[in-house]
Amino acid sequence: MKHLLRRRFTTMTAVDAIDLSIEPGEALAYVGPNGAGKSTTIKLLTGIVEPTGGEVRVGGIVPHRDRQANARQIGVLFGQRTQLWWDLPVRESLALLRDMYDISPTDYQRQLDRFDEVLDLGALLPVVTRKLSLGQRMRADLACALLHQPKIVYLDEPTIGLDIAVKDRVRDFLRQLRAEGTTIMLTTHDLADIEGTCERIVIIDDGKIIYDGGLAEVKDRYARERRVHLQLGTPITAADLAARFPAAAVTPGEAHGEFTISFDKSLLTAGAVLTGVAQLAEVVEVRIDEPAIEDVVRRVYAGELNITPGPADAAGAHPPSASPTSAHPAGTHAASARAAYAAGAADARAAGVPGAEDVTGAAGDVDPAEEASR
Amino acid sequence: MTAALLRDLRLYRRCLGAVIRGIMEYVADFWILIGAGIVTQSLGLVFLGVVFAKVPTLAGWTFPEMVLIYSLFGIVAGVLPIFADGIWNLGRLIHEGRFDYLLTRPYSPLLQVLSRSMGFNGVGDTLASLAMFGWAVAHVDVAWTPGTVLVGLVLLASAIALRLALLVIGNSAAFWVRSPFVFAITVLRVGELGRYPIGIYGLGIRLLLTTALPFAFTAFYPAAWLLGRGGQAWLGLGTPLVAALAWLAALKIFNLGLRRYESSGH
Repeated sequence: MKHLLRRRFTTMTAVDAIDLSIEPGEALAYVGPNGAGKSTTIKLLTGIVEPTGGEVRVGGIVPHRDRQANARQIGVLFGQRTQLWWDLPVRESLALLRDMYDISPTDYQRQLDRFDEVLDLGALLPVVTRKLSLGQRMRADLACALLHQPKIVYLDEPTIGLDIAVKDRVRDFLRQLRAEGTTIMLTTHDLADIEGTCERIVIIDDGKIIYDGGLAEVKDRYARERRVHLQLGTPITAADLAARFPAAAVTPGEAHGEFTISFDKSLLTAGAVLTGVAQLAEVVEVRIDEPAIEDVVRRVYAGELNITPGPADAAGAHPPSASPTSAHPAGTHAASARAAYAAGAADARAAGVPGAEDVTGAAGDVDPAEEASR
Repeated sequence: MTAALLRDLRLYRRCLGAVIRGIMEYVADFWILIGAGIVTQSLGLVFLGVVFAKVPTLAGWTFPEMVLIYSLFGIVAGVLPIFADGIWNLGRLIHEGRFDYLLTRPYSPLLQVLSRSMGFNGVGDTLASLAMFGWAVAHVDVAWTPGTVLVGLVLLASAIALRLALLVIGNSAAFWVRSPFVFAITVLRVGELGRYPIGIYGLGIRLLLTTALPFAFTAFYPAAWLLGRGGQAWLGLGTPLVAALAWLAALKIFNLGLRRYESSGH
């Protein structure tokens, strides 16, 4: 009996005491390792699942209670799954969605023109879904998610499996949406997706928010290291350089005359380094590495950093009252009573816990084949 | 209210239309499915013929009367795949996580599921069953009046609605169990018993087919009313009521399932 209860308890934890509000027009990056609860949060916000505790509100609507009303104000993309009709040309899928969302012919045409411009959708319209490449499918799915000009857009891994060219295209499009004032919640493993789109980042791990604040601030506070890579034309040793910059670390590169100088940007600037080096040697080539947010998040994942939000983030910046979107599901603790009779549900919910990632991947992969076989 | 209903219907027609266009991509499949439907129904008729070559009546029912019940069942069961075959996708949609998208659209998830696919074998089933029904009607003793025709049509529509409700219930098991087909197909197998006069079964099965899984109302009771036969002929007139109750139960169960739906994926 004890064993059973314990098992249920762990199985049910998908998100636990997530407290999150999003301002209108805000672009939020929602990142975390596999199974951290990212998709579960999106499913709560879209009304796909009902919170077992706490409450969720989107634009004044309780999503799971009023799914259809909520559907009109949101756009959703699950990058691992398509919502296109498998045997139909893209144009037909879009036309079906047009009818479901009661989009007027003028608005519809305007949106198609726009998607053609930014996503090169025109070429895909006559193509049957099953013949689309992954990148083409994702572009078409983006069009599906945004066709009805939703105020709030949830994008779960919108660049997963895409090649660089398509990724860039998707990112450009996200920036454009952002500029137009669409509220965006972006879940991704590829942190290049969020730079330039999101100014706020929420890091979630094990069903809990471990950081919520400005993206620039995270980089400022936790990614202060800069690296200047130099190719020098004058013979000089690493020790000579190190002596010139006591606050920096100097490592010689693979080739002769190559050096990397790493320093804390609060102690030194790239400009000062370059000026200093120029006094010692002829500088042939320079490359400066900005820290990538990947590094920060990787360190958070690895447990190296324990970031806590600054008081400004917690109180001032995001007052829950003014938010169109907020989720306060208190996952398991409130749910334990329910779990006692909801054993069947435990399986489905299991996908929300760490380690269940492969299940999702597999489901996404078999999707087309299964759909085709029907 | 009416506007919403019209919108639902229009969207349903649009979804089905799109599915048909998708299927038409494979013209060969289309004809094979229709052919398969006709063959299946004809085989059933051959079986009945073999039985009646040995015995003149079965539990008091003559061969044409049996064909009438049998073909009425065939029509009811054949019409459904044409416009509501999508219900059989529910389990797969749920377990592959594709049901998620349906919940993010401003259109009833149940109607989206129902209109998601089409079984052209139903066309064959229906055509073959109609032919049998026509033959049976010509060989049984029914006093046709405009009233009989009207009530008959209402009973037919009710029987179709009833069968669909039972299929919705059977497939809704997907919200609770991992292998929903076992349940839905069991329901369907029980339903097959409704092809024959229920007098040939024991009390337990008769009760089952009349109450818990009232498949007897999808063919036997309406046919018995039409033929004015058996002590329970009047029961056939209860078909619309049974259908309404079954739909109440189906919607309740489907919505309960929706509430406990937890989605797959992380």
